[in-house]
Amino acid sequence: MSILSYNGGAVVAMKGKNCVAIASDKKFGIQLQLISKEFPKIFEMGPHLYVGLPGLATDTQTVHARLKFRQNLFELKEGTRMSPKVFSSMVSNMLYEKRFGPYFVEPIVVGLEPDTYEPFICNMDLIGNVCFPEDFVVGGTCEDQLFGTCETMWEPDLSPDDLFETISQALMSAFNRDAGSGWGAVVYIIEKDKVTTRHLKTRMD
Amino acid sequence: MALVLKNSSAALNQHSFSPYADNGGSIVAVAGDDYVVIASDSRLSTGYSIYTRDQSKLFKLSNDSVLGCCGCWCDVLSLTKLLEARMQMYLHEHQKVMSTPAISQMLSTMLYYKRLFPYYILNILAGFDNDGKGVVYSYDPIGNLEKSKFKAGGSSGALLQPVLDNQLGLSNIKEKPEAITLEKALNVVKDAFISATERDIYTGDSIIINIITREGIREEKLELRKD
Amino acid sequence: MFLSRSEYDRGVNTFSPEGRIFQVEYAIEAIKLGSTAIGICTSEGVVLAVEKRITSSLMEPNTVEKIVEVDKHVGCAVSGLIADSRTMIDRARVECQNHWFTYDERMSVESVAQAVSNLAIQFGDSGDDGGAMSRPFGVAILFAGCDEKGPQLFHMDPSGTFVQFDAKAIGSGSEGAQQTLQEVYHKSMTLSEAINACLTILKQVMEEKLNSSNVEVVTVTPEKLYHLFTKEEVEAALSEVKPLIKDEPSSSSTSKS
Repeated sequence: MSILSYNGGAVVAMKGKNCVAIASDKKFGIQLQLISKEFPKIFEMGPHLYVGLPGLATDTQTVHARLKFRQNLFELKEGTRMSPKVFSSMVSNMLYEKRFGPYFVEPIVVGLEPDTYEPFICNMDLIGNVCFPEDFVVGGTCEDQLFGTCETMWEPDLSPDDLFETISQALMSAFNRDAGSGWGAVVYIIEKDKVTTRHLKTRMD
Repeated sequence: MALVLKNSSAALNQHSFSPYADNGGSIVAVAGDDYVVIASDSRLSTGYSIYTRDQSKLFKLSNDSVLGCCGCWCDVLSLTKLLEARMQMYLHEHQKVMSTPAISQMLSTMLYYKRLFPYYILNILAGFDNDGKGVVYSYDPIGNLEKSKFKAGGSSGALLQPVLDNQLGLSNIKEKPEAITLEKALNVVKDAFISATERDIYTGDSIIINIITREGIREEKLELRKD
Repeated sequence: MFLSRSEYDRGVNTFSPEGRIFQVEYAIEAIKLGSTAIGICTSEGVVLAVEKRITSSLMEPNTVEKIVEVDKHVGCAVSGLIADSRTMIDRARVECQNHWFTYDERMSVESVAQAVSNLAIQFGDSGDDGGAMSRPFGVAILFAGCDEKGPQLFHMDPSGTFVQFDAKAIGSGSEGAQQTLQEVYHKSMTLSEAINACLTILKQVMEEKLNSSNVEVVTVTPEKLYHLFTKEEVEAALSEVKPLIKDEPSSSSTSKS
């Protein structure tokens, strides 16, 4: 079994009309054993910037800490907030530094671009190859299931409410068919002037 | 062994023989009270190359039973031939056509008998149960049998199944689950395949749908993307 | 007459010039020495009744088993060499379980009879599996069962020939009993009428007096499937049997059930 699926977990992000959403499950397990039902995989990195780090749990935490470290230095030096685009470049760079001994995470960055408030999503593999799709990105142990659900459910220009419903249904249907992820979910809907966080109750098995 | 010793470079060129191939393909089946829909894609492939874009993976076993098979295509051909022969023998021995539940059990035992050298096939059987209601049976390669109302399997199984759960099983939806109409089932099957084709290279080209009702079996075809 | 047959009546592999295999015919004779068994098939179910010959007062009557359960939905009454019948019943049981294992459904009564017939004709010493019987089985069997075609009764003789019947008697009293069945049987018979008819006929053809320990009764119905009558149930059924019924069959339907 791949080390990427040692702890399990799923993250998905979608673009909407003037909004983006990112959602993940809450599970932290070790192979078949459940350790915690409150393990965050999505982190707020700014007012309109979130990063999801599905993969090996220890690397989720380490990568998050090191990203915050570099981001703080950047923001102190430059005196400006990091835009999602710049942030994702930084993530990619940091992962590539460990090209031959990588962190086992596949990050997903979402946010709204400063000034324009254009929705932004991207994902990358564990060594920092970035991708900027127009619709949605998925990651984690139920990647296949998420591709199936997102591909059927997502449509362009969803309103924040519709986007919430879509991403929630896509995530829950997907991880209910995956033994590696699940046990509750959290959804962030990011709009120009507010971020809504919702916790979903799901089947716990 | 003697050959290898004679020519030491032969050892470098030795290929390990694998008795199995994965020829891809996906099957979806949905059962209602008075109908069953079963669909397969028509792509037959190996790795990055496509053998054909027009190979149905559905096998009509009787007037109300259709079997969908994908996986190792040579095993599929062998198993379906054997199944046809066994059904013919049953017909002669017992003077009746095998019912879907009888086929389902026989297929399970046939797969289990090759427990140590299995048929590398994902089987989904669609038909009517003994009460006349639509039913779907799905198998693993060594004969584990599950009876359900809808099932997706094959190279896109993981992509398709949660879509069916959501749209037909109405999981996570507060609406009362009501009977799924044939029209709704057909739409979900088509949509699910169109989506799966976007992300799975082993599924595509077109889908062949068999609609089984009390009146007989009707076939439909839908083109998918070919890349 | 005995001498004229002696050329051909020893082996089962040789036809006589008249085209007969005497051993089979002798086997058919053998079952005419067996205890009487009667089966009647009605739309409600099938009934089997047999006489048990209790030859000694020291004998334990319920160890004489002449009607046996083959599967939940099939019962068999046998007459003739009981030891031979065990082999055939075993085969019938194995075939039923095999069918259930492979097809997850009940084997039809006809198929059970067919399977046993395949065993019955394997006499002779040149079978593929070596262990074939060297002579025909000296047994006649009544198969009673309920499948998707409803209640059914089949009769099989030592040659392996099996035929479906509405009512059939085998064993020593079979000739007289079959005659009476012909008169008594009608298509709209109820199950209790059939039980009554079976016992009435047995009573006529048996030497001993009919009682609850020298008769065995089984019904196979779509609802209860195979059911062996308890001593009490047999007694209750016997109490319905009138002293002399032969000429008034339909009036026997004064059953209290």
